[in-house]
This record gives sequence, structure tokens and C-alpha cells, in this order.
Amino acid sequence: MNYIENTYICLAAPLLLTILCLRREGRRSLIFVLAGMTACLLSAYVSTYLTGIMGIDLAAASYEISPVVEEVMKSLPILFFLLVFEPDKKVAIGCSLMIAVGFATFENVCFLTSYGTSELLNLVIRGFGTGAMHVVCGMIIALGLFFLWDQVWLRVVGVFALLCFVITFHAIFNIFVNQSGIVFWIGSVIPLTAVFVYLLFFRRKVRLS
Amino acid sequence: MIERIENAIQITVLLICAGISIFKTAKYRSRTWTNAFFFFGSLALGDIYWFVCLIFYGKTPQISVVSDLSWYASYIFLYLILTRTAPPEETGKAGFLPWLGPVFTVSMALFFMTYGEILGNIICASLMGLLLFSSIRRLKDHKRCRKELFLAVMIFIFCMIEYGLWLSSCFWSSDTLANPYYWFDFLLTVCFVILVPAIKKAVEL
Repeated sequence: MNYIENTYICLAAPLLLTILCLRREGRRSLIFVLAGMTACLLSAYVSTYLTGIMGIDLAAASYEISPVVEEVMKSLPILFFLLVFEPDKKVAIGCSLMIAVGFATFENVCFLTSYGTSELLNLVIRGFGTGAMHVVCGMIIALGLFFLWDQVWLRVVGVFALLCFVITFHAIFNIFVNQSGIVFWIGSVIPLTAVFVYLLFFRRKVRLS
Repeated sequence: MIERIENAIQITVLLICAGISIFKTAKYRSRTWTNAFFFFGSLALGDIYWFVCLIFYGKTPQISVVSDLSWYASYIFLYLILTRTAPPEETGKAGFLPWLGPVFTVSMALFFMTYGEILGNIICASLMGLLLFSSIRRLKDHKRCRKELFLAVMIFIFCMIEYGLWLSSCFWSSDTLANPYYWFDFLLTVCFVILVPAIKKAVEL
């Protein structure tokens, strides 16, 4: 039996203390890392609840329910930040990536406590793969929020569509990493490749007209 | 077996179309092409999701929320492409004819509800109604919107093929090529290929 809330408290306590000590950008970044971890914890509760009431087995829930719940929960802190504080683009993009980082970190910790730490190579691949997947999803949502649409109603509709897009991407990733062998490797490498392609070709170019 | 082959062909075509769109996005820094990338990408991801479920688990998903969401997303992106390529004259009264689109989708949704779920059909009817309304409106104003006509025609055809596909799935006959479902799915694949030049023409204007 895993008590993920205990793990969460252990990880969140030092972050919380550091948040109190830091100022400005450092504090903001850590708050969003913590928000990402909290979103991950709450997603686990909501996913387990929905899995129970829908009567779906756990393996199927990982690609049918978890992606939907996780992506929605992950987007809530950034939407709250945008609506209440109205930050500028660069700050908000950074914050959305910090949420993704916090989420991926806590998800990896939960994975480690459930499945052990014996196979280093698989853990390295999984760590980078999960991290890259959450970062890619965060970047796609940020792209929609700040660059693709000018009018508010188009942005709302567009961001909903992008959320659906990343949910499907996340679900496919979960199916791949639930397999073993070459399929697991391919699943982990796809989001990593997306990050590298973005860094190599699009980072400077994508300033859409 | 036929379903898997047909799925694989459609996924390949959609990935090529998404690749072309992302290349055009990088080249022209065009938001319309970015929307096109997400349109083709959403459809491709939805298809890949079904495909990998069949390959790895030997069955389709128990609940189809994820793939449904990807298809809803693709309809929204297609509508956003239509909105972005709208001519400035397209602001006046729509008239009677475009409303036939939503009337058609609502009546079809009522029919589909006898076979499937309610919420999914309502969402599909709304999004398809919006697409049909906008495309018929542009077709009606073809004298003023001559340059954007090709895209409107293709989107109208896309919607009709989708309805043909859904209708044929209600009267499933067999897993052979004689099943009209596969004809419509093949037509849909051809439609994706033609949508690329249609978007190109609308963007270049």
C-alpha cells in the first residue's frame, strides 16, 4: 500500500519553507512546481474515484481516464493565474512549464515508490520520457494561450481544442509506456524527440505572424 | 484486418498532411497553417489511439472519451481555419440557406441518439452544425468570396462524408470491403489529401 499523500508532504515541506524564504521569480517558480505536484496528487484521487465508479480496470484507466483528469488538473493552476493576476506572456509560459515539471517529478516519485528503483536504464528513459511528455503538453497549451489567437472567444475555444489534443497525446504515451521492450522505448523517445526538434528548429522561428 | 489496413493508410496520410502543415508553419509563420497542423494532428492522434488499442489490447477502448475529444478538437480547428480565412465582406446577414446545416445536424443527432449516447451526439451536432453553417454561408456568397470557395467546398464535402461514415456504422453489415463504411472512410482519406491544397489556396490570398 502506498500513501502518496505522505510522500507528497515529505516533498512539499522543504519547497514550502523555501517559498517563504525566496522573493520574486524564485518564489513564483517554486509555487508553480508545488502547484504541479499538488495537481498530480489530486489527479490521482480523482482518477481513482472515476475508475471506481465507472468500473474500469486499472490498466485501461491509465489510458482512458488518467490522461483526461491529469491534463485538466494541470491546466487549472495556470488558468487561475492568468485570470486573477493577468501576467505577461513570458512569465505565464515559464509558470506553465514549472507546473509540468512539478507534475512530472511527483509522478516519477510515485512510480519509484510503486515499482522500485532497481532498473536504472529503464528509470532514466522513463524519467526523461515522462518529463518531456509533460513539458510538450505544457508548451502546446502555452502556444495556444499566447500566440495562436487574438480574440478572447477564439482563444477559449482554441485552448479547449488544444487541451483535447494533448489529452490524446498523453493517452497514447501512457499506452506505449505501459508496454515492455522496444514499444516502451519508442513511447518514451517520441516526446523527447519533440522537445529536441522544438529546441533545434522552432525556438527562434516560431513567432507567428 | 481490413479495418487495421485502412486505419494504417489513413494515419499515414494524416501524418504526411500534418508534416506538410508544420513545415508551412515554420516557413511562413502562418497561424492558419498551425491550425491546420493541429487539425490533421488531432485526427491522426485519434486514429493512432484506436489503432494502438487494437494492436496492444486487441479491443477498442471501453469508454471512448479520449478519441472523441480528439475528433471534437479537429472539428474546432477546422472551424478556426474557416474563421481565419474569412473574407472581410463575410459579416452581413447569413440568410435562410446556411441554417439548413444546423437543422440537418440536429435531425441526424436525434437519429443517432437512438443508437448511442446523448452528450456526444449533442456536441457533434453543434460542431458539425457550425462547420456546415459557415461553409454553406461562404458557398452562398460565392460571387464575393470566390477565392475562398475551394476550402468551403472541401469542408462541406468533409462534413457530408463524416455523416455518411456515421450513418453506415449504424447499419454495420460485415468486415469486408462490401461494407459502405470502408468506402466512406477511404473517401475521407482522399478528402484529407485535397484539404491541403484547399487550405494553401485560402492562405495564399
